[in-house]
Amino acid sequence: MSVGESGVSEFLRSYLTVGWFGIAAVVLAGLLLWVASLVRPSRPGHEKLLTYESGVDPVGEGWSQSQVRYYIFALLFVVFDVEAVFIFPWATQLERYGTFGLVEMGVFVFVLLLGLVYAWRKGVLRWV
Amino acid sequence: MQMIRDNNWVLSVGTFLPMLGVIALLVTPKANEAAIKMVALLTSVATVIIGIFTLVNFDFDQAGAMQFVAQTDWIPVIKSTYFIGVDGISLPLYLLSMVVTLLVVIYSLDHIPSPGNPKAFFILMLILQTGMAGTFIAQDLILFFVFFELVLLPMYFMIGVWGGEQRQYASLKFFLYTMFGSALMLVAFLAIFFKTGAESFAIPYLVENGGGIAKNVQVWIFAGMFIGFAVKVPMFPFHTWLPDAHTQAPTQGSVILAAILLKLGTYGFVRIAIPTLPDAAIEWAPWIGGLAVVGIIYGAFGCLAQTDMKRLIAFSSVAHMGFVMLGISTLTSFGVNAAVFGMVAHGLITGMLFFIAGSVKERYHTLEIAKLGGMLTQVPRLGWILGLCSMASLGLPGLAGFWGEFPAILSAYNPADGLNVSVYRTYMVIAALGTVFAAAYLLWLYQRTAFGTPKGHDHHDVHDVTTYEWVAWLPLLVAIVAFGVVPNLLFGVIDPAVQETLRAFGG
Amino acid sequence: MDIAGDFLPPTIEWFALSPYIALVAGALILLLGSLTPQWPRGWYGLVSATSAGVAGVLSVLQFANLADELPRTLVKGALAHDRFGLLALIAICVAVVFTSMTTVDADTSDSLEHFALLLTAALGAAIMVTANDLVVSFLGIETLSLSLYVLAASDRRRSASQEAGLKYFILGGFASAFLLYGIALVYGTTGQTSISGIGSTLAGEVSVPRNDAMLLAGVALLLVGFGFKVSLVPFHSWTPDVYHGAPTHVTGFMASLGKVAAIVALVRLFVVAFPTRADDWRPAVFALAVLTLLVGSVLAIVQRDVKRMLAYSSISHAGFMMVGLEAAGRIGSSSASDGVSSALVYVVLYSVLAVGSFAAVSVVSQHASDVTSTSEGQSTTSLDAFNGVAKTNPVFALGFTVLLLAQAGVPLTSGFVAKFGVIRAAVSTESYVLAVLAMVSAVIAAYLYLRIMVSMWLSVPASGEATSALAPKLSLPLRVTLVSAVAITLVLGVLPTWLLDVSDSLALFAR
Repeated sequence: MSVGESGVSEFLRSYLTVGWFGIAAVVLAGLLLWVASLVRPSRPGHEKLLTYESGVDPVGEGWSQSQVRYYIFALLFVVFDVEAVFIFPWATQLERYGTFGLVEMGVFVFVLLLGLVYAWRKGVLRWV
Repeated sequence: MQMIRDNNWVLSVGTFLPMLGVIALLVTPKANEAAIKMVALLTSVATVIIGIFTLVNFDFDQAGAMQFVAQTDWIPVIKSTYFIGVDGISLPLYLLSMVVTLLVVIYSLDHIPSPGNPKAFFILMLILQTGMAGTFIAQDLILFFVFFELVLLPMYFMIGVWGGEQRQYASLKFFLYTMFGSALMLVAFLAIFFKTGAESFAIPYLVENGGGIAKNVQVWIFAGMFIGFAVKVPMFPFHTWLPDAHTQAPTQGSVILAAILLKLGTYGFVRIAIPTLPDAAIEWAPWIGGLAVVGIIYGAFGCLAQTDMKRLIAFSSVAHMGFVMLGISTLTSFGVNAAVFGMVAHGLITGMLFFIAGSVKERYHTLEIAKLGGMLTQVPRLGWILGLCSMASLGLPGLAGFWGEFPAILSAYNPADGLNVSVYRTYMVIAALGTVFAAAYLLWLYQRTAFGTPKGHDHHDVHDVTTYEWVAWLPLLVAIVAFGVVPNLLFGVIDPAVQETLRAFGG
Repeated sequence: MDIAGDFLPPTIEWFALSPYIALVAGALILLLGSLTPQWPRGWYGLVSATSAGVAGVLSVLQFANLADELPRTLVKGALAHDRFGLLALIAICVAVVFTSMTTVDADTSDSLEHFALLLTAALGAAIMVTANDLVVSFLGIETLSLSLYVLAASDRRRSASQEAGLKYFILGGFASAFLLYGIALVYGTTGQTSISGIGSTLAGEVSVPRNDAMLLAGVALLLVGFGFKVSLVPFHSWTPDVYHGAPTHVTGFMASLGKVAAIVALVRLFVVAFPTRADDWRPAVFALAVLTLLVGSVLAIVQRDVKRMLAYSSISHAGFMMVGLEAAGRIGSSSASDGVSSALVYVVLYSVLAVGSFAAVSVVSQHASDVTSTSEGQSTTSLDAFNGVAKTNPVFALGFTVLLLAQAGVPLTSGFVAKFGVIRAAVSTESYVLAVLAMVSAVIAAYLYLRIMVSMWLSVPASGEATSALAPKLSLPLRVTLVSAVAITLVLGVLPTWLLDVSDSLALFAR
């Protein structure tokens, strides 16, 4: 692939920055870990090698079934997470968008709200 | 080509009148069988009356011109028009389809095959009639294709529902073979449409302009049409659906199949494939002729090997259509005249033979030739009619079959310019041998079924020709004799139209 | 990209967007139904049918308006407003109306989710068929697909349905990944996601284009992704299992609406965005078309189960639509636009046939499960279940026969008009090989429709008196659905003039 002077390649070249950034990150992190392993003492024990699970003792195998309600909560979390991702940049630019922006976000939130109402009526929010 | 547009409503009425009957039948209650039969009969009688009106008003002095032409827009976007008309080639076949349908309806008044349900049976028969008549008058390729396909379904159901033991197999085979042929035919139709400038699907237009297509392209387009028509004819090696379909079909289905449906293929060659693609026709003609004589001999041997009367008649169709195709393949007006005559004659004679086979089956409950015998002593009139038809079928001079067969053989002596004479003379010799075989199998059939002593069928089913049968058969028998004695009745109409059709070949 | 500067809100043409709004509104009303007690039976279906009907009528109005307006884009180029998309939109609305009516009668619970999902699926499909931007198109695909995944798995009593949903989900997600990667690569080379913008960018290149490998890789990935959605061979393997496992009315919905959306989006993308690369993608489309036609029809005739048969036949139909796309790819030819309109007309007509046929299958299978409730494990959609249907209910059998004949492409039915258009386009662009292969495969596939007809008309029911004792029962909505499907099939078959008249304007894309 030849890197020429045309607009298309220039556009491509801006990806190059991202590439360099990624490489630098990997190299830096690897370097730090490597240096640390040289410096620190290493005394492995049973407790230390256990999987860390929020301070709870790990029970059984890792490949086990979880309660389905965790999934539902995860889904709800993702929904509102995405909503937040939308709303933050929108909020910073709200003045520029004016009424149009307000109405649009109102529609978005309304639809989302309906989904929440639906979920609530279906008893998803109860921890059974 | 000259167009005569007088009385342009006649053909449309004649073609679509049966559909009116279908609608009337649909609203007739199923239980009222007498009313159903009456509606079917009246419809087909009315159709034949329209047909007679057509015949009377046909200008025989201009039999080469398209007459009763009607032309209006149909699907303007694809440049397809509702364009119909008859000339001397179409007219006999068009009328034959009407008459045969009427006779079959009359025959059915007394002979509804198992499992009954006359309502559905007559509805299918009338739809079939519209499709057949429409195919013979269509002057637009799309219209032709639609009518050509319209025939397929009623016949499929007729074989599939009212047929014999193996009806499912036979009807499927019939449907798939024919559909395969017409699928390629459709591509060919589209190709000729675009190659002539995408102007029109009208056959006269394509005849004018088709010759301008490059020869190698013509040959390919002709190949598509050839497969479509050859399956329908059926020519060797596409014939294998025919014996099964005929054997399994009810009598009425066999009669219509033999009398009309097979002609759709040969008519397609004469009307469409050869005039629109003259250069390709010259290229293909020796191959068509070759397959035709193979069909003649193969059909004859096939007949000699049969033990079933109906199957024997079916194989004889393969042989007879071979003569028709041989006549067409000479590309001379003499040969094509013979072919068109042969089409009509075969329709009358073989249709009649299938009627007889149906009646024999009804009386003796078998069509095994070995189990039949002594018809002349037991049912003398039926026996004599079988005799007459066998003689007509083997081409006895004085009966209609002769004028289809003999001139076809003769025409191969002198094929059109550009065709290899020695090849055609070889064909002629082989075809002449075929007539000998034809005599052999038909006489053998007649001898074993009609002569001798009856083989223990003494129950009351065995009776002579009934009134319904007489009414249904007499017109066919009269026509067989009349066309045999005065062949010019037919040749006079056909010849001008054939001359017109073959203009591209110098007459 | 410069974000600064005055922000100009896009002009919203509310009327042009009204079909989408009608669909969303219907879905939201249904969701609000969760606040109220269970509605009387049939009301959910009524809401979804009504809102789809309203959306359909609105689309028809705009279709008519476009007779004297030029095609244009909406919402800053996100959606195309042209007859190509609108005809597909009408077909989608019709499919939803029909499916709502058949679903009301289905044995599955009368739940609001079911109908809300029909509407969201329709919304996704509507966006797909009109999207003028790859990202918007992808949003449509996902909206449609997610709804269909759930619908396919909606029959909770049958494990086959669960399996179908999961299979569809995994393979559909796989396909989406292909699409997304393809979109990324195309964006990478052209710098934009607008479909018409990509077209003009590529057309504007004067010299030999750079980065062609990357662009072609993107095009190939898009073709693969859409190939999954359209179920082209060799990306078809999910189709029979999913079609078989899903509840029958959902299968009809997938076959009609899913096919319309995917084919229309594919054709629009390739014809509008990549006409300059047609010489590169046309051979691929040719190969896919040949494989799809032959494999689809050959595998269809060896099936024992009617739903699987129709699934394979839908694959074979997709092959026909590809024949249209192949013709559309012959850019130099004057009749390339015939390819575009014929593919669209084909899929629109097929969608009606598919809904009607699967509705008929659901009638028979419902009946079979009523009769043979004792014997478990036997499929209620096997060919044997159709034995002797014509004896117990000849009118129903006749209607189904018409639909089957239309699928086989018999003249005087809409199926013939569809096949004729595609073959005509192929012949006029001189792809004779494809035309002949397509017709041959149509004949092979005809055997399959004949087999079903043979079962209905010529075979005797397996369990004699039990079946003949009670004829398949048809509720009013089902009757209306079947009668309308058959009527559309016959009317457009005998008088296709209207449809063909507008077909020239179908190939005018909004750019």
